[in-house]
Amino acid sequence: MRPAAAIAWEFRQRHRWGLIALVGYLLILAVLKLLVVARAVPLHLNSPESFAFVVLVPLTATFTYFLAVFTFGLEGDLAARQSMYPARMFTRPVTTAALAGLPMLYGTAAMMILWLATRLFALWPWAVEVPIIWPAFLAASLLAWTQALTWMPYPLPGLRIIIVVLWLWIIDAIALLALHFQAHESLMLLILVPQLPLAYLAARFAVARARRGDVPDWRGAFAWLPRITRIQSRRRGHFRSHGSAQAWFEWRRNGRSLPAWVAILLPFELALLWAADATALVFEVLLIVLLTPPFMATFAAAMPSRSSPNASDSLGVTPFIATRPLTTGELISAKLKMTAWSTIAAWVLVLVAVPLALELSGTSAVLLEPWRRLNEVVGTPRAVVALLLILSGCIAATWKQLVQSLYIGLTGRESLIKGIAFLALVFLFFVGPIAEWVIDNRHLGELWSALPLIFAVLVGFKMIAATWIVVRLYRSRLVSDRTLVTGAAFWCVAVLALYGVLVWLLGTPHFPHYLLMLLAILAFPLARLSAAPLALAWNRHR
Amino acid sequence: MSEPVIDVSGLTRRFGAKPALDSVSLSMPRGAVYGLVGANGAGKTTLIKHIPGLLRAQSGSVRVFGLDPVADPVTVLSRIGYLSEENDLPRWMRVDELIRYTRAFYPGWDDAYAEELRLAFALDSDAKVKNLSKGQKARAGLLTALAHRPELLVLDEPSSGLDPIVRRDILGAVIRTIADEGRTVIFSSHLLEEVEQVADHVTMINEGRIVLSGSLDAIRESNRVDGRSPSLNEIFVARVGMPAAAAAKV
Repeated sequence: MRPAAAIAWEFRQRHRWGLIALVGYLLILAVLKLLVVARAVPLHLNSPESFAFVVLVPLTATFTYFLAVFTFGLEGDLAARQSMYPARMFTRPVTTAALAGLPMLYGTAAMMILWLATRLFALWPWAVEVPIIWPAFLAASLLAWTQALTWMPYPLPGLRIIIVVLWLWIIDAIALLALHFQAHESLMLLILVPQLPLAYLAARFAVARARRGDVPDWRGAFAWLPRITRIQSRRRGHFRSHGSAQAWFEWRRNGRSLPAWVAILLPFELALLWAADATALVFEVLLIVLLTPPFMATFAAAMPSRSSPNASDSLGVTPFIATRPLTTGELISAKLKMTAWSTIAAWVLVLVAVPLALELSGTSAVLLEPWRRLNEVVGTPRAVVALLLILSGCIAATWKQLVQSLYIGLTGRESLIKGIAFLALVFLFFVGPIAEWVIDNRHLGELWSALPLIFAVLVGFKMIAATWIVVRLYRSRLVSDRTLVTGAAFWCVAVLALYGVLVWLLGTPHFPHYLLMLLAILAFPLARLSAAPLALAWNRHR
Repeated sequence: MSEPVIDVSGLTRRFGAKPALDSVSLSMPRGAVYGLVGANGAGKTTLIKHIPGLLRAQSGSVRVFGLDPVADPVTVLSRIGYLSEENDLPRWMRVDELIRYTRAFYPGWDDAYAEELRLAFALDSDAKVKNLSKGQKARAGLLTALAHRPELLVLDEPSSGLDPIVRRDILGAVIRTIADEGRTVIFSSHLLEEVEQVADHVTMINEGRIVLSGSLDAIRESNRVDGRSPSLNEIFVARVGMPAAAAAKV
């Protein structure tokens, strides 16, 4: 078998079930179209929701799946500094050009075929004039650049995620702008076609570096950070207890990434305050800064640390940790402490940096006038409480992002973790179009009327799941009765406190009290947080 | 007779359809060195992983010090020293951090002994685990498994990564020392010469079943050929059908 055929065979063999499902879907689309064209069967697929269901959902899911497959993203560590290109392939007697080019060729071809087949077989709404060629090139260039950027070795852990997201966003934005200004297909092709050779050159450079083990390292620039903690740890001497030792372990392993990311991003965001027309930007900058910790927390939480790249199951609990003489509840407690410290550290940075930047940039005065007006309208106590509530809401949201998906990573099952990440990604793709559809079709009123029912159903699911999990926890004795009761009491107090504040702030006929209560119940994690000990025990004692 | 340190009864474990352990029963009294031998994939690691509760018994039971290690991990694990086959020490830790961290879990941690082992193993306190060689990582793992003077030491393929001289000196001394103090050691290996040097009892496992178990002397005695006491390797070939070194490559 020749190298090109061997690499193609590997892709086909590893992902044959996905490909079979895709071919099956395209066949169904083709049959549907044949029915319409040949027999003039009146199918009603013009409505946006049925069109989205039949075409957009599978198309987007397949696009994401192809991204994961052809970047080798299903077998690599997105947050690592090392290239995601599988190292096992570097020892094959194949040129670097082939190693970079062949997966790119197969990937871009698959993307183009996906679009062309969908364009050909799908039943598009009659009013829409769907372009043929350029979307195929857009999909291909998005994949090619994702490949190049994921195969590149990076000097800092996690940098890959930011660069990939930003670069793809830029390409997407260019395409959207061109669409907005109704650019001609030839112009779109002029923008998109050169992306492929450029991405190939970048990929070839990336694979060449990775192949010779050349991984840049800028961690030295931040070496003073561990040195400080090291001096502190030496001064501290021995740990007070095994719980504090485990909390220290969690902090060192996972806790520092969120404050580190916030510390890296903050200077860039706050630098905008020194921009030419800074006064107009102050609120936008503050909004971005306030959203940074919760946003970065989703990234930090989505990157379960690989305990050891040498371990056979690197997402599972390693024997080293699993054999610590600690209960599963104590291991979870150390993780929760870490998330709390991580949140506090990130927000201390924000709360110190923002006033400093406002003062030094001379933009703090911009905030005084809106603050005075708010005082006049709602009174000083409410204004202060509203401000504190926004701040504590952001802090709580940061912590919630860190803990709510803890249970997924703790299962240690790679297929489950990646499957849920894939579903989350697919969901993110649809949030925008669905929201747009709701707004464009003036369904906001209906949605508002249905909100209590939607909330009630969600609360029902949440409470059923929580009850099931608590019963399992009680029976398995993974956490003590006292912890269960204390946790439940703490959750009730937190919900009631939030409810009280919401009633005080928003208690008008527009916001019925029961709706605020449902909102408060949904705001605090319960079922997913309670599932963490079960997930860890499942992982620890396989 | 005292209560066995490890009592395995009718233990069966499957990974998918493939049985890794098939009705394994084993009882290990206190104060001896047990060698668990077999080819790769025979079920040694699977059996050993049940002792600290890394695997849950699908059927049958595992008792360590009379307790279920899954139901009561703290009591069991605080009395065990475990060295995994995988090099899974946290790569970001320095050696002194590793010692300081591990020490927090064991009230019986012996600082002087830990320092003695660190010096004997030539481990630099400031070195990061990820920068240690494979042999040094194994030594660091051994240090953390030994320094709290556990009642039961469980070593899964401890020879992996150690050169022959260090392997003989370190492993032999450690295992003998512990056994002399009345503690119990169970270790797995496919290097049968090594097992012969240090083990009092041998359990031979093949395709998830115990094919031979007993004291080394008794095994040799019962397998005499022409009045000659055979080596463990010869017994292994006779029982399993291929030399241990070849079986290990299977």
